[in-house]
Order: sequence, then C-alpha cells, then structure tokens
Amino acid sequence: MRALIRLAGLFRPFRGWMLGGLALSSLTILANFWLMTLSGWFLAAAAITGLAGYAAQNAFNFFSPAAGVRFFATLRVGSRYAERLVTHEATFRLLARLRVWFYATLEPLAPAALQGFRSSDLLSRLVADIDTLNLFYLRVYVPVLSAIIATLIMTGFFALFSVQAALILLAGLVVTGALTPYLTGRAGRAAGRDVVRETAALRGEYVDAVLGMGELLTYGAAPALLARAARGNTRLLAAQAHLAKISGAGMAASGLTTNFALLAVTLAAGGKVAAGHLGTADLPLLALGTAAAFEAVAPLPAAFQYLGQILEAAQRIFAIADLPPAVPPLASPAPVLEHFALVLDDVSLRYAPGMAQALRGISLTIPEGGRTGITGPTGAGKSTLINLLLRFHEYQTGHASFGGHDLRTYDSAAMARYVTIISQRSHLFHTTIRDNLLLADGAATEAQMWQALEVAQLAGFVRAQPRGLDTMVGETGARLSGGQARRVALARAVLRPTPWLILDEPTEGLDATTEQDFLRDLAPLLEGRTVLCITHRAAPLALMQQVYALNEGRLVA
Amino acid sequence: MAEAERIDPRLMREGRRSRGALYTSIGLGLVSGWAVIAQAVCLAQIINGISFRHLPPAALAPWFYTLAALFLARAGLAYGAEITAFRAAAAIKTDLRRRVLERLFARGPVPAADEASAGIAATLLEGVEGLEPYFSRYMPQMALCVAVPLAILALVFPLDVYSGLILLVAGPLVPVFMVFVGYKAEAINQRQWDKLLRLSTHFLDVLQGLTTLKLFGRAREEIAIAARISDDYRRTTMAGLRVAFLTSAVLEFFASLAIALVAVLFGARLIHGHITFYPAFLVLLLAPEYFVPLRGLSVHYHARMTAIAAARRIFALLDADVPAPGSVILPKLSQIGLRCAGVSFSYGGAMVLDGLDAEFPAGKITAIVGASGAGKTTLARLLLKFASPQAGRITINGTDDLAALAPEAWWAMLAWVPQNPRLFHGTIADNLRLGRPEATDAELREAARLARALDFIEATPQGFATPVGDLGAGLSGGQIQRIALARAYLKDPALLILDEATANLDPASEADILDAISEIARRKTVIVIAHRLAVAARADQVLVLQDGRIAEAGTHAALLAGHGPYRALAQAYGEVPCAL
Ligand SMILES: Nc1ncnc2c1ncn2[C@@H]1O[C@H](COP(=O)(O)OP(=O)(O)OP(=O)(O)O)[C@@H](O)[C@H]1O
Ligand SMILES: Nc1ncnc2c1ncn2[C@@H]1O[C@H](COP(=O)(O)OP(=O)(O)OP(=O)(O)O)[C@@H](O)[C@H]1O
Ligand SMILES: [Mg+2]
Ligand SMILES: [Mg+2]
Repeated sequence: MRALIRLAGLFRPFRGWMLGGLALSSLTILANFWLMTLSGWFLAAAAITGLAGYAAQNAFNFFSPAAGVRFFATLRVGSRYAERLVTHEATFRLLARLRVWFYATLEPLAPAALQGFRSSDLLSRLVADIDTLNLFYLRVYVPVLSAIIATLIMTGFFALFSVQAALILLAGLVVTGALTPYLTGRAGRAAGRDVVRETAALRGEYVDAVLGMGELLTYGAAPALLARAARGNTRLLAAQAHLAKISGAGMAASGLTTNFALLAVTLAAGGKVAAGHLGTADLPLLALGTAAAFEAVAPLPAAFQYLGQILEAAQRIFAIADLPPAVPPLASPAPVLEHFALVLDDVSLRYAPGMAQALRGISLTIPEGGRTGITGPTGAGKSTLINLLLRFHEYQTGHASFGGHDLRTYDSAAMARYVTIISQRSHLFHTTIRDNLLLADGAATEAQMWQALEVAQLAGFVRAQPRGLDTMVGETGARLSGGQARRVALARAVLRPTPWLILDEPTEGLDATTEQDFLRDLAPLLEGRTVLCITHRAAPLALMQQVYALNEGRLVA
Repeated sequence: MAEAERIDPRLMREGRRSRGALYTSIGLGLVSGWAVIAQAVCLAQIINGISFRHLPPAALAPWFYTLAALFLARAGLAYGAEITAFRAAAAIKTDLRRRVLERLFARGPVPAADEASAGIAATLLEGVEGLEPYFSRYMPQMALCVAVPLAILALVFPLDVYSGLILLVAGPLVPVFMVFVGYKAEAINQRQWDKLLRLSTHFLDVLQGLTTLKLFGRAREEIAIAARISDDYRRTTMAGLRVAFLTSAVLEFFASLAIALVAVLFGARLIHGHITFYPAFLVLLLAPEYFVPLRGLSVHYHARMTAIAAARRIFALLDADVPAPGSVILPKLSQIGLRCAGVSFSYGGAMVLDGLDAEFPAGKITAIVGASGAGKTTLARLLLKFASPQAGRITINGTDDLAALAPEAWWAMLAWVPQNPRLFHGTIADNLRLGRPEATDAELREAARLARALDFIEATPQGFATPVGDLGAGLSGGQIQRIALARAYLKDPALLILDEATANLDPASEADILDAISEIARRKTVIVIAHRLAVAARADQVLVLQDGRIAEAGTHAALLAGHGPYRALAQAYGEVPCAL
C-alpha cells in the first residue's frame, strides 16, 4: 500500500489530466445509466398511454423524453470517446514521467550501486515494469473512483423510486465492486508477482542469447539456455493461466451478481407495482437501470488481479530508487577550478565491506601539466584509481584533494568536466561513428571529428566506408574489429580538450605500428595537459615523465 | 494492407496449433450469445407480465427460475471462455518463442551482430504477448459477429419488421467502416511497434553504457533524451489509439442511432396503440446485444493491427536465411590440423579475406599477426564455422570439409576465447562451468591455475562463489581475461583458438600464461591471434595477414631474418625498448 501512495506522489504533476479522466469516466457511466432508465420508462409510459385512449395520447408529451433519449445517447458516445482519449493521454504522460524519473534516479547510482544488477534486468524495470505501474491509473484509479462516484449517484436516484430497490442495488454493487475485487486481488497477488519476475528473467536470457551467442554456441551452452528459456516461458504461462482463471472467475462472479441483483430488483419493484405503490412504468426503468448500473463496477474484479503485478513492479522500481548511492550526493555545488593538481595522502579504498582493500595507503602527487604513467600487474588496483578520482566509489581512509579542494566536494559529474577518460572497456553505442564521437563533444565540427579520427589512426578506415562517418558500429561495436572499436574510443577522447586526460590501456588491441603512429600524433595534444596513463605496454610509458608502479593496491615505486 | 493480407493467413496457420481451444472458444461464445437472447425473452415476459398483464410475481415463477438458470449458465460460460481464450494462445506463444530463439542460434553470431539484443527480447516478450488477443479474441469474435446478430435478427423480424430492417441495415455498416479505417490504423500500428523496439534498444544501450556516459559528463543529458523518446512513443501510440477510439465512437454512434430509432418508432406506435409493450420491450433489450459482437470486433480489430505489426517482426526473424548447417558428425578427434585453400569472405562490403591459403598443423601453436582490421578475427570466425567462406575451402586433417560438418560436433572439439570475452551474470564458478556443467571443483581449480587465475580467485572472500556482474563488472580487465582462459582450459579441447588472449595482461602474467599455453600445446592445436611479439615468439609458426591473404609464414626467427612485413612490425616494437 505504501508503494501505491508513493506512486500517487509521483503522479501529482498530472493531477489535472487524471481528474479529467475520472470525471469523464463517471459521466460516461451516468449517461449510460440515464439513457437506459429513461428508455425503459419511456416505452412503458408510451404503451400505457396507448392503452388509455385518445385523450391521454394527446396529452402525452412525446418529444421531451425522446429528446432526452437522444441527448443521453449522444452524451454517452461523446463522453466515452473523450474519456478514452483523456485517460490514455494521461496514461502515456504518466508513463513518460515515470520513465524519466526512474532514469534520473538510476543515473547517480551507476556504476557502483548497480553493479549487482544485470542490465537486461534494469531494462525490464525501465521498460516493462514502468509500463505495468502505469496500469495503476487506467485499471485501478479511474475505475475504482468512478465506480464510487457513480454508485452514490445511482443508488440515490433509485431511492427516489424505492428505497428497497436502492438497497438491493447498493448491495449488489458492493459485492461486485468491492468484495469480488478484494478476492481476485488476493488470489492474483502471487501470480502477478511471478509474471513480472519471469518476464524480467526471460529478458535476461534473450539478451544473453544475442550478446553472448558465440560463447554459448562454442561451449555447447545454447541448449541449456534454450531449456532455461523454455522453462521460464512455462512458468510465465502458468502464472498467466492462473491469472486467466481468476479473471474468468471474477467475470463470472460479477456477471452473476449483476444478474441476480437485476432479478431481485425486479421482484421487489414488481411486488410494489402489483401493490400499487409504484407506477407501472417505473418497473422497466428500475430493471434497465440496474443492468446499466453494473457497468460501473464490471471492470473492477479484473482490475484488481493486476494489483499483484502492479505491486511487484512498484517494489522493483522503488528497490532501485532506494539504493544508497556509493558516493553521497553533494550538499553544495562543486568548486570551480583553476588548478588541477591531484594529491593523494594515505588513501585506501575497499569496494565493499568484507573485501580486501583495492588501494592501500596510497600517497602520490600528480602535478598539474605533468605526465604520469602507472604500471603494475593485473588486479593491482590501477583502474581503481580512476574509480577513485571520478568519484564512482568512495575511499574510506586518507585524504585526497583535487585542485586544492577536498575530493569529497566533487561528484562524478563535476569531475567529468575536468577529466577525459579512455576506460579499459569503453562502451560504443549502437549508432553511427559520428554519434559516438559527438558523445565527447556535442558541438564538434566535421573537421574536428576527422582530425580526431586521424590521430586515432581510423580516418582511413572511415573514409573507405561507403557511408563514412554515418557507418553504423553495431551493438557494443560488434560490426567493427576489436582494434577499430578501440580507436573510435580513442578518437572520442581526443575530441575533448579537458585539462586532464586519463588513458587506461589506451593501445590494447592495436598492432605495434598503429600504436606507434597513434602515440606520435597524440603527443602534441598532450602539451600543457595533465596526463595519467595506465598501461602494461612500453610504448606509451615512453611518453611519461614519471612512472609509478602499483602492486596489490600499494605503490611500490 | 496488401502485406497484412499475407500475414493474416500465416497467423491463422499458426493458430491451427490450438484449433481445439479456438473452436471451444467460439462454441462457448455462441452458447453465451444465445443465452443472452433467452434471458432477454424471460425478462421481457416478467416485466410485461407484472406491468401490463397485472400478474402477481408468483404467477411468473417459471420465468424467474429459467432466468436464474440462465444466469448460472452464463457465469459458467464466462469462466470457461476466459480459460479457453488463454489456452488458445498459450501453445502458440510457447512455440513461437522457441522457434525464434532456435532460429537465432542457427543463424549464428555473425548475423546476430546486426541485431539489437533488446529489440529481439522485446519481440520475443512483448511482441509474442501481443499476438495473444489475435488468437484469443479477434479470431473467435469473427465467428460470433455473424452468428449472434443473425440469431437476434431471426427473433426480431417476426416480432417487428421495421426494427428488423433498421438492424439489418445498421449491422453491416460496422465491418465496412472498419475496413475503411483499417488502412490508416495499420501504418500507425507498425510505426508504434518500431518505436517500441527502438525504445527498448536505446534504453539497454544506455544502461550498458551508463558508465561511459558519466565519464563524458553526458549521463544527465540522457534524461532529456529519455523524455523525448517517451514522448515520441506517446504521440505515435496515441495516434493509433485515436483512430481506434474514433472507430468505436462512430460505431457506437451508429448503434445508438439505430437503437434510438427503434425506440422512437416503437414509442410512436405504442402511443397510438398499434403495438403492445412486450415485443417493443424485448426488441429494445435485444438491440444493444445485436451490436455487442460487432462492437467487440472493432475493439479486437485494433488487437489484430497490433498483432500484425508484431508478427511481421517475428516472421522476419523466422524467415531469415540460415546457412545449410552441414550434418557430418566426426568422431571426437584427438588431433586437429586445419587448412584453408583460396578462402574469401566479405561482410557484404569490401573483401576482408581474399583467396587466403593457410595451414594450421596439428599439435602446434600457430600465431596470426597483422594490422588492426586485417581480418584476423574474421578468419577465426570462419574456422569456428560462425560464417562460411564465399569461396574456397577449409579442410580438417586434409580430408573432411568443414562446411559439411555438423556445427555442434565441431564446437564440441574446440574452445575459443574471443577478443572481448563475455562473462555472464552468475558466480565465477558458473562462468567457468559454462561448457562443462559437471566439472568437479578440483578440475575448476586446475583450469584456474593454468590460466593464472587461481591466486586472485582464492584471495576473494567468496572464492569461486564470487558473483560476477554483467560484462564482468566487479573484476579487473586482466581478471576477466584470465577467467575466460580458464573457461577454455576447463573444456580441455583438441583445438584452442585464442583471440588476443593476453590482452590487458602485464608482461609477467603474459609470460606465465604463454608458458601454460605451450604446456597445453604439447597435446593440442593452438591458434593464437596476437598483436604482441611475445606471443608470436613462442609460436611454432607465425602467419602474417595482410590484404586478405597470408603475406608471410614461418617461425619468428626466420621471419625476423627476412625483409617482409613481420620484420617491419618487429621494428615498430624495437624502436622503443620493450619488456619482452
Ligand atoms: N567494481 C568492482 N567491484 C568490486 N571489486 C572490484 C571492482 N573493480 C575491481 N575490483 C577488484 O579490485 C582489484 C583491483 O582491480 P583494478 O581493476 O583496479 O585492477 P587493475 O590494476 O586495473 O588490473 P588490470 O590490469 O587487470 O586491469 C581487483 O582484485 C578486482 O577484482
Ligand atoms: N560483423 C561485421 N560486419 C561488418 N563488417 C565487419 C564485421 N566484423 C568485422 N568487420 C570488418 O571486417 C574487417 C576485418 O575485421 P576483423 O575483426 O577480422 O579484424 P582483426 O584483424 O581482427 O582486427 P583487430 O586486430 O582490430 O581485432 C574490418 O574492417 C571490420 O570493420
Ligand atoms: Mg584495469
Ligand atoms: Mg580482431
């Protein structure tokens, strides 16, 4: 329930749309109700008049009820159309808002706090779960509230004719609108949760199947994945079958209550008509009115079986939103810098409690404008230095300062303004080479892009492509060779003239000749910048002024 | 529309799989439709009896009992209809998901590089789900929308010809109008579906690249982009829905008009006593029911459009070409030698390999070197049977044609470490056991030791049970590389193909790993792709790939002594002192 209240909070900016949809929905139900009651009464009254002879026929006002029937018929069509438009418009606005909100909550958490999640699972949350959350408005909020509003008005109207009929109607509506939904909601809770979970799990298998296909095939693991996906599908279908059963039972129950309420109203009102307490024409009015009244509550049993799905989706969404960021958000804006020296004094970093320290008591100064190399065996903690500097992970002890200010006064967005990084595994986006380059500098001109490609030794390749800069690179760069993908990442960094440049294994995946040419062309661009280069290879180290060696998280030289 | 006509019959063919459920669904719908008619008759009798024949309710008891029985029957029918509706699509959904996935695997990793994984996942999940209403609602509804209205007409005509005529004229307007609107709705639905795929693909890309985005200070801008994409999606979806809603509004308007006309005509005649209350009331009860199946058709027509848009994508995946896989199953070879003769390959553009001849002798280490983009990985893909050469032949041990081999049998004999190894979400042990789920802990440790991964695995608090994130999150670059190597060793294959196996490793670890490879190669054939001469120096044979062919072949020493490209490469290293 708390999740639903939080959800309602997120929807607040769209109150106007939401209430508009609610009003129209209530109007539609009531228009239909009065259309049916009026038609029933009109026919009966006309028939009575017909039996009563000429004088009555001339006195009978044929036109105002006929006009009323036309009015309500048109109103019903118009308001139903408007209701659907408004509620769906509201739904999709809420959807867009939720999605943007969720992304905005997710963004500060990456990468540290999201490390344990599959990206396909996050995708399922961002796309499918948000979609499900949105059902809340269309399937729960609108039907429930409009049913309550309409029920009050309709029973009030019935009471004008017969209090007994009104009470029967009210009882029937409460059974269909509250009791049955409560039961279907409870029965569907577990299955709804399974649908959400199994969908996310299946998405993970499908994404793995495409992205890891080479490994899956050669390791003979494809049949296992197929079997897992088949089992997941079976579980998903089982949960859906359960929900179908509940929805069938809910529909049967609500149909049954509707019909028996109709029967009871007819009997009760029929008795009164026979006793002369009620006009003859009022019986068809009440009978047709009862049938129409149940339109208000008919969707509720089905709606509430979605509640399980909605709650599970809400829980999955809020579970992410409630993750603590690895680095606390800044209390005040980060300082603006003129100088860019980095000083680490006895700094230690541990990725998670209980794990070994990845950096142990590092003290080191990287002067502004200096070129520093870092070497060391694999797993020594070299890339961890980047996580430290970029504020992705928090250091526990020691003191660090950047440009004379405590490093803790920055967040990663602030650091990214001064630092450009080629990370060890740079992600290429599933778009063109051009867009991948523009990522580094949205304002880069065509000439600047080509120049960056020249430095990265990729200009020749791009020029040879029929579509040049607009060549698609494939998902995670799959349509390029390993070295070409690396060089796109290099070109991206070249485009960004920040005071600091950090290179993590920049030339890994390049042949010696290409590496040499790249370093030769890169050298002039390093003038005046602070450079930190992490590498196992000798060629880039030759450009550095000082070289540190790391081993097991300690500075050894 | 023309294309939709080809998709419909195909969907119907898929539907045959659950014919039983479909027919049951139609049967239940029919009985339920007739029950509604009978119910209207009972109700009209009761109300007419009380109001006009002035009977006490007790005198109408038989009608009340029949009515109650009908209500119970309808409840049962409604329950049955929901369940059969679900069953009608369940088998089809399972079958399509399995077939698409199998087809993807049959096509192999090279075409998979052109697909977006999130798009495929969305097609398999949301797309296949989108077919359900087609089978469970639209198809049964098509049968009902003829049978139920006809039954109602048959009852109404004897009661009142005028009303019968009005209904008869108004009914067929519905399908005619729908076809008219359908043209536009279909294009909109297709666009909406494309947008949904793009949305999924984009968000997965962003989630996987979130760190990179943050490094470039661009992650916040994605908020605006996400807003734009979602807004775009809203607009297209609403465009589709507006058409659907307008269709049903117009239909409802027709229906209301027809019903109002019936009512007004009755009213006029009732006043003048030309007709009695009973037929008028009964027809008025039946008139809305006459339009219910037709209105349902319009609602489900939208479902059909959605289904067709999704089905187009599903069928495109199912119809994709699959190379003839080959069926020859070799006995498990202990020695594998490979030979390429005149092998050519292109990805559709320029030739990457162009008449390449090469020899990979059994039990030896062959190193492939060459500039970035020369085609080394491509050659490995051909040897792995991920793609077939467009010309030339690859033979095994001089006799068997690789093209004729069953791929699974071939893969069972080899192990491959790709250039960017992919670790899966799970523990380190899960990842190592990928190829041999039954491997013992001791075997795991031995493989990890060979790959020089044992020390760091054991140094972590959870050891082999350490969780690995997507793409190896939580591990250093070199650690990922070594786990991938250990995974290959654990398989103990006859042929080992390593693409940049020592990337991201420091020279000392590299030397260790090369020692291990030499150790392994005493029993196996090893092909290593490398940019580092340390690797080539250990190989029995070095192949230099240039311009789509082998430009030079020989031992490290022999090639160094020559004047070819290998020497130039070595000089590139030699100019700077290096740690070799
Ligand atoms: N995100 C993370 N979460 C938990 N542990 C991590 C994470 N990243 C790295 N580690 C661990 O921290 C240690 C140092 O890793 P780091 O990536 O800094 O090594 P590295 O020196 O860059 O090695 P390589 O040369 O292999 O890239 C390793 O033991 C690694 O397993
Ligand atoms: N899936 C693909 N679709 C289209 N073109 C591709 C694809 N994969 C590779 N290419 C192209 O084929 C050529 C050869 O690529 P390949 O990956 O074989 O090079 P490589 O020798 O392994 O290079 P590197 O050392 O950089 O890994 C490159 O120009 C590359 O752009
Ligand atoms: Mg690293
Ligand atoms: Mg390659």
